[in-house]
Amino acid sequence: MARLKVLVRKEWEELFKIKMVIYGSVFMPLLMGGFAGFMVWQGRGLPSGAQAALFNTALMYFLILPVMIPVTLAVYSVVGEKEQGTLEPLLATPLADWEIFVGKALVAVVPALALTWGVFLLFLVATHVMLGGIPPGLVSLPWLLSIFVLSPLLALFGVLVSMLISSRTSDPRAAYQFSGLAVVPSLIPLIVYSARLTAVNLLLVALEGGILVLLNLGLLYVAVKLFRREEILTRWK
Amino acid sequence: MIRTEGLTRRFGARTAVEDLALEVREGEILGLLGPNGAGKTTTVRMLACLLAPTSGRAWVAGHEVGRDDQAIRRIVGVLTETPGFYKRLSVRRNLLFFAELYGVADARGQVQRYLERLGLWDRRDEVVATLSKGLRQRLALARALVHEPKVLFLDEPTSGLDPESARAVREFIGELASERRTVLLCTHNLPEAEELCSRIAVLRTRLIALGRPDELKRQMFGTRVMVELGNPQPELARAINLPFVKAASLDGSILTVEVDDPDRDNPVLVRRLVELGAEIRYVSRVERTLEDVYLELMEGSDGPA
Ligand SMILES: Nc1ncnc2c1ncn2[C@@H]1O[C@H](COP(=O)(O)OP(=O)(O)OP(=O)(O)O)[C@@H](O)[C@H]1O
Ligand SMILES: [Mg+2]
Repeated sequence: MARLKVLVRKEWEELFKIKMVIYGSVFMPLLMGGFAGFMVWQGRGLPSGAQAALFNTALMYFLILPVMIPVTLAVYSVVGEKEQGTLEPLLATPLADWEIFVGKALVAVVPALALTWGVFLLFLVATHVMLGGIPPGLVSLPWLLSIFVLSPLLALFGVLVSMLISSRTSDPRAAYQFSGLAVVPSLIPLIVYSARLTAVNLLLVALEGGILVLLNLGLLYVAVKLFRREEILTRWK
Repeated sequence: MIRTEGLTRRFGARTAVEDLALEVREGEILGLLGPNGAGKTTTVRMLACLLAPTSGRAWVAGHEVGRDDQAIRRIVGVLTETPGFYKRLSVRRNLLFFAELYGVADARGQVQRYLERLGLWDRRDEVVATLSKGLRQRLALARALVHEPKVLFLDEPTSGLDPESARAVREFIGELASERRTVLLCTHNLPEAEELCSRIAVLRTRLIALGRPDELKRQMFGTRVMVELGNPQPELARAINLPFVKAASLDGSILTVEVDDPDRDNPVLVRRLVELGAEIRYVSRVERTLEDVYLELMEGSDGPA
């Protein structure tokens, strides 16, 4: 546990010195939150069906955020280690294999969720100010479940995908671009909603949650194998 | 302190280390020599519990590799072949990170101690990216030592350094043995091995020689004596014919003779040469270097490398 903390703290100090990462994890959340606010603003006074569609799009921004933030962080945390030749010295320490894996995952997941939820809070406050109240659609059970249950699952998904991809390439840009595909599951709601114009409902949330749990389990299985010392030392490129 | 038995590592069809039996005593610096691809780094990685052996066993400070890896990692220090650092973080922060990972008590104090000891204290707040190669290598040594390991694996610690930096690193390694640390030193630098190591192991996938530098020299070459003659005669070399003379050859006015034990044999040799009518100007010992031993071993062994 103590070692895990040591690792995570080092990672954050290091990531904090990379401009790309700072832009990615401060600028993007604000931008997405701004878009979401804009959607809600647009929906004021519209019939409830049209308003629901705009709210759905707003929600989607909050599902993209928890994937995109950890992708940036995880890619740099893994590729950076390879690029700088620090993997072998790191592996020589008493750090356990699982600690390396969990540490690197936490490095990305924790800020992703903190930022997503922080921006969501800002969004609610802004909505309240703009509309003089929060429309019930924004704090319905499916919304809250999406924000507080789907987001962590999406963040984990983003992290796992980017860690797997980063272990296979030492080019952060390539890793970053490929890992961007992790955002696809976040778009599922948009596709469904915009085709049917139905408001976000429990069934959809449960379905997407179920898909993510399965995907995450599969990825976790692969990742645990990839994060063994010997594997890291001999197979990572 | 370190012991291996039949230690073998294969990568697919390629064998990197085969059937290695080695023992390194406490407080000893053992040099591991061998050409590129001989399996030195692979050996170190197995002993540092970074790679699992394909077969065979190894013990470090009484802990068996593959069974007690965590215990081994705690008490060994590794200087890897290409030691990297977090280049955006400061010198001190890098070292502190590793000290904390090893659970060093008073990590800050220990970091300061080693930065001072390696002459890096003045540069403690600079980011590693600004350090020269020599300074980085010193920082790598500090990292290998910051948790006061009993056993050290140093993989080519002076490669790529200018002579002055290399000397500084070498002197530092010399101090380690006097602190009773056990060191396994991989190197391509033969004078360095000769200067620092109490014993040398020559590896070429398999172990092809092991011993003290002077022992190896004697085993390989006996002892050579050089005689400078005033009247060299071509048939002289063959005419000597003494039981202890292993080889003799004449090159210009220099007669080179290999004997078993110069203290005992040289007086007899000189008498015999005088009998044969030789006019002797000088008699001197030919110093063989470890490099001669090494090159001879490489010629004599055929291994994949
Ligand atoms: N991860 C790996 N995968 C496949 N083969 C490997 C791997 N690591 C080492 N080898 C092979 O094992 C052999 C021994 O390599 P090793 O790095 O141990 O040699 P070395 O003695 O350290 O060489 P050098 O003097 O160049 O550092 C080489 O043939 C090398 O190609
Ligand atoms: Mg090597």
